Amino acid sequence: MNVKDLKVVNKSVVKIDSMSLALGKPSYVADFKPADTLYVKMLWSPHAHARIVSIDISAAEKMPGVKAVLYHGNVPRVAHCTAGQGYPEPSPYDTFMFDTKVRYVGDRVAAVAAETLEQAEAALKAIKVEYEVLKPVLSIDEAFAEGAPIIHDEPDATIPIPVPYEPLKNLVAHISMEVGSLDKGLAEADFQFDRTYETQYAQHTPIEAYVAQAYLDPRGRIVIVTSTQVPFHCRRIVAQCLQIPVQQIRVIKPRIGGGFGSKQEVLLEDVVAMLTLRTKRPVFWEFTREENFRTGRTRHPIRIRLRMGVKKDGRITAFGMEATSNTGAYGGHGLTVIGCCGSKVLPLYRADNIAFLGKVAYTNMPVSGAYRGFGATQAFFAAESLMDEMAEAIGMDPVEFRKLNHIRSGEGSPVFEALGEGKKGVPMTIGSCALADCIAIGAKEIDWSRRTPWRSKTGRYRRGLGMCCLMQGSSVPEVDMGAASIKMNEDGSFNLLIGATDLGTGSDTVLGQIAAEAIGTTIDKMIVYSSDTDFTPFDVGAYASSTTYLSGEAARKAGAKVKLQILNTAAEMLHLPVSELDTAEGWAFSQDGQHKLSFSEISLYSLYQKNQYQIMDTASHITHKSPPPFSAHYVEIEVDTWTGAVQVLNYVAAVDCGTAINPKLAEGQTEGGVLNGISYALTEEYLFNAKGKMINANLTDYHIFSMRDKPPIKAILVPSYEETGPYGAKSVSEICINGAMPAIANAIHNATGARLYTTPFTPEKVWRAIQAL
Amino acid sequence: MKNTRHLSFSVNGEAKEFLVAPDEKLLDLLRREGLTGTKHGCGTGSCGSCTVIMDGKTVYSCILYAFQAEGRAIETIEGVGDFDNPHPLQTALVEEGAVQCGFCIPGIVLSAKALLAEIPQPTDAELKVYMDGNLCRCTGYEKIEVALHKVIAAGSCGGAK
Amino acid sequence: MKLNEFIIPEDLKSAQSALEKLGEKGFAVAGGTSLHFLGIVEKTAVDISHLGLSGIQKQGGAYLIGATTSLGDLMKFKDQGWVLDQVALHTSTQQIRNISTLGGNIVRVFPWNDFPVALLALDATLYIEGVAEKAYSSDDYFNGQPIRLFQPGQLLTRVEVPVLKPGQGFGYHKEVRLHAGFSLMTAAAVITVKSGRIDGIRVAASAGIALPARLTLVEAALGGQAADAASLQQAVANGTAALAWKGKEGMSDEYAAHLGRVVLMDVLSAALLQAQGE
Ligand SMILES: Cc1cc2nc3c(=O)[nH]c(=O)nc-3n(C[C@H](O)[C@H](O)[C@H](O)COP(=O)(O)OP(=O)(O)OC[C@H]3O[C@@H](n4cnc5c(N)ncnc54)[C@H](O)[C@@H]3O)c2cc1C
Repeated sequence: MNVKDLKVVNKSVVKIDSMSLALGKPSYVADFKPADTLYVKMLWSPHAHARIVSIDISAAEKMPGVKAVLYHGNVPRVAHCTAGQGYPEPSPYDTFMFDTKVRYVGDRVAAVAAETLEQAEAALKAIKVEYEVLKPVLSIDEAFAEGAPIIHDEPDATIPIPVPYEPLKNLVAHISMEVGSLDKGLAEADFQFDRTYETQYAQHTPIEAYVAQAYLDPRGRIVIVTSTQVPFHCRRIVAQCLQIPVQQIRVIKPRIGGGFGSKQEVLLEDVVAMLTLRTKRPVFWEFTREENFRTGRTRHPIRIRLRMGVKKDGRITAFGMEATSNTGAYGGHGLTVIGCCGSKVLPLYRADNIAFLGKVAYTNMPVSGAYRGFGATQAFFAAESLMDEMAEAIGMDPVEFRKLNHIRSGEGSPVFEALGEGKKGVPMTIGSCALADCIAIGAKEIDWSRRTPWRSKTGRYRRGLGMCCLMQGSSVPEVDMGAASIKMNEDGSFNLLIGATDLGTGSDTVLGQIAAEAIGTTIDKMIVYSSDTDFTPFDVGAYASSTTYLSGEAARKAGAKVKLQILNTAAEMLHLPVSELDTAEGWAFSQDGQHKLSFSEISLYSLYQKNQYQIMDTASHITHKSPPPFSAHYVEIEVDTWTGAVQVLNYVAAVDCGTAINPKLAEGQTEGGVLNGISYALTEEYLFNAKGKMINANLTDYHIFSMRDKPPIKAILVPSYEETGPYGAKSVSEICINGAMPAIANAIHNATGARLYTTPFTPEKVWRAIQAL
Repeated sequence: MKNTRHLSFSVNGEAKEFLVAPDEKLLDLLRREGLTGTKHGCGTGSCGSCTVIMDGKTVYSCILYAFQAEGRAIETIEGVGDFDNPHPLQTALVEEGAVQCGFCIPGIVLSAKALLAEIPQPTDAELKVYMDGNLCRCTGYEKIEVALHKVIAAGSCGGAK
Repeated sequence: MKLNEFIIPEDLKSAQSALEKLGEKGFAVAGGTSLHFLGIVEKTAVDISHLGLSGIQKQGGAYLIGATTSLGDLMKFKDQGWVLDQVALHTSTQQIRNISTLGGNIVRVFPWNDFPVALLALDATLYIEGVAEKAYSSDDYFNGQPIRLFQPGQLLTRVEVPVLKPGQGFGYHKEVRLHAGFSLMTAAAVITVKSGRIDGIRVAASAGIALPARLTLVEAALGGQAADAASLQQAVANGTAALAWKGKEGMSDEYAAHLGRVVLMDVLSAALLQAQGE
């Protein structure tokens, strides 16, 4: 396939929903609030760890405007997992709609639905709860300490697949692999390293907080309109929690105001659905920003110990990673995130001896979940920091050292097969890989040749250059599934119905482009409708960098099938063999140029004239590979060595995402991910009091960058062609968030000689590291 | 509602009367009036998705009491453009791919519009200062900046009211 | 924030009498942007934003600033001896600057408030008007929570800030994680240089210390000294030893003390440089 021949794909067509959003048209969950809706407020646990000894809702129930109060005494007790993933989930069923125990500050205690928000708030104050406060577990070390309080002591916490799960030890997951011998590899090395890195709590902070509403349709089915990345998993999990059939539930995802992984969870929908069933009224629930921080999902803090060995000539002899994560009070994404620390990072560099050990701890802290980058973010900080240290030890330029060792097309890694999601992985050979180009192009753009050793630098303000290399995946092979249906209309337009979930990324546009290309029409003829469990086919949802690669291929296949039907009808109309016909830009034509029919003529014929049928088809897709996108990131910074403050001056991200279906959107993904990565590296962190309560739960004290704070960011798309993806595409949106932390760490070292092992790189940490030199 | 009072101010050029509670915020008033283009993002004046223009200057409607708008002129995104006739800022943001989830975009449009009305040819530094109250988590602001520079260069909003 | 009632008075006099009548039950709202932090409940708001108390005028050797002048207007105002634009430029975001007022920033003071520090360094005069007008020096005004000086019905009406003269320099720094953040360390200084010596010095700090205050020991150590970096260094080292620095946002007190000294050196150096006409 020559990318140059493509008509719709690889073009920066305008994102199809963008004008309506720029005009402020009603689009998001809260814009569709029914007039007679009830409002939900939740009573949250003020304690990190406590047992509810008694709870009295009787006064609250009698408060003005109150229509229902839910608590553990009046809802079904169903152990489930809030994380939306494949089924059965590779995660513990450790959550209940309401429980008799609270496990973090911000855990659910009781919910009120009332006529107004004020009435619901007032009713919360009337709920009397007596707690037996338990000793909280506030760190990984405390979780695994001898005699630690047990966070999940309930007997009904189980895991639905056969993997290690030991709640009585606060152990959520435990995975390991070894290829060759780490000890042997270390022994063979000229230089050995043993380093430990530690990352912080951070949050996605989409500008739209979690929000959901539910109402009963005229036939009594529950309709849930929600800001979710996983509408189909949401439907399944709500059915499970309410103990009703999936048939009774319709989930609609309208436009959503960002997700980044946070909305891959069912945190509100079970409650609004239950309250709608109880009250027969529409029910609306929106998190405040504070609730979003305290109760919403976060990025796992992870402690990563690396043991690596390198020869003087630059060969890596041993690559050992021991990763221990803090999943907080519930373990939804514990196993999968820790697995990705290994599976998305270890394969990047060749090594004969590789070992991985992953452990996940329960604590009484905010719950970690899926977050763009998904474990690779934390592990790349560690690995790419150590790559620079190793390069320095052997006296090699960090770029040259990476060029020598990185994986290439045609190579595999034993890690792909060893690490899957709750089961073995899928063996894979790398197809497309333009990492070498990314490294070269990025180096040129930042002008890497200017880089001088840190020892040569003097003065208060010192500049430094840093870089790193990255890979990710595209879908979870042989687990994820996406589907698409396409239906033709009289005017030659098409309804593209997809389960895939556009969370602002532009996937509706991208999938529309792919389908249009496959059919042979233009993007303006595509009516894209996604994420409605009543009307669109199934899709696992927006996660694991799967939508473009996986759901895109489903859209391409469905388009190809519809094209065939169009050609068949055209052949019938023109009395020509199908083999002589083709489509382009909304026309079917004979290859000799003698005959042509508009899609509208064909559709009118098929619907009204003869042998009538609906031109329509559907296709599903699963993947057998998870082809990694690759990227090289470069950054220039300036350190104020007196205060330790780090300023990013310039950032370059060169990325190989295969064929960019929509280059501007792919750049936009990269630029956005990079800036999120920069603030994760420098300014974002949860601050806690001694009792485990987050104390900076607002958007002034939790620091994300504004336009005034941002450095220039240059995203460069470096083409490759992935044979297994739609028109050569791979994923793009997760990989970009992983680079800033290691690249900046390396740049700080290049500027000052200081090496940081804990994040974020606050001025005080940088200053102390400089003092310690 | 107790102590409700009448207020009058204009919204998108139209004189209006509202019945409000003393502590109702302008954002809640606008949204219950169906003007849902103004978003609720943080409730503390920190994210900018609730931005509206009051007498030519941007304010956070999530922390502004409705009574503070008495006698003033309020402009919301609904007053800025439509499909047939989008504002040059909206066109540029759409064309440059600056709209991802879109939740911040109405606020971005209004902040930029107020800036260009006040300073038709802002320097880059002025642009950043006037846009510093609108957070976007999707785009990294690159494409937004490109779009705004495009509009500034074209002079299509210079002195626009 | 629960408000019982609001009043939109026609003029200053009716605002004052409304507030006087309400007593404890009423309070003035200028921009209203800090009510969120004040936790005011069950009170009546009296809107003082359109009583004609806004605007900046240069009169003789001073700028007269109306108490309800927005921070945005302070930022846009430009003149030779005017420095408050530098302070406003670093306060919060444009939406906040557009509506929040100088008065609101300095009547109830938090450690992170930006203007008290600058006004202390500038030796401003603050005017509170009840039945009659009363003037306070910035030293008296900020010597404790300013709100203590206000009787019901009294409002801050204007602030007088001297025009900076040749031979004088101003330095200001607000340390933040990101532009819109609250201050972690604020310092401001005004230095007057005469014949190579420091003839006048006022320096104030906040955020890293409990409340905005002048650093009199630093001032004492600098007065009459040679106008050079060495004097500044020595004064900062000696004059800050007794201060109780507090770290914010996870920073240690030890680091706060270090940061405080760096920031002080920076503002003093900037002020000196300007005073020396550079
Ligand atoms: C998101 C956000 C960020 C902020 N960032 C900063 C920051 O970086 N730095 C900073 O300093 N502040 C900051 N603030 C706080 C606040 O906006 C400022 O302090 C602002 O200057 C307050 O002015 P205002 O007119 O809004 O005051 P208001 O809220 O209207 O009033 C504040 C108090 O002063 C009283 N008052 C006001 N004017 C008078 C008067 N003339 N006479 C008597 N009493 C009066 C009021 O009764 C009230 O008690 C921030 C606020 C928000 C919401």
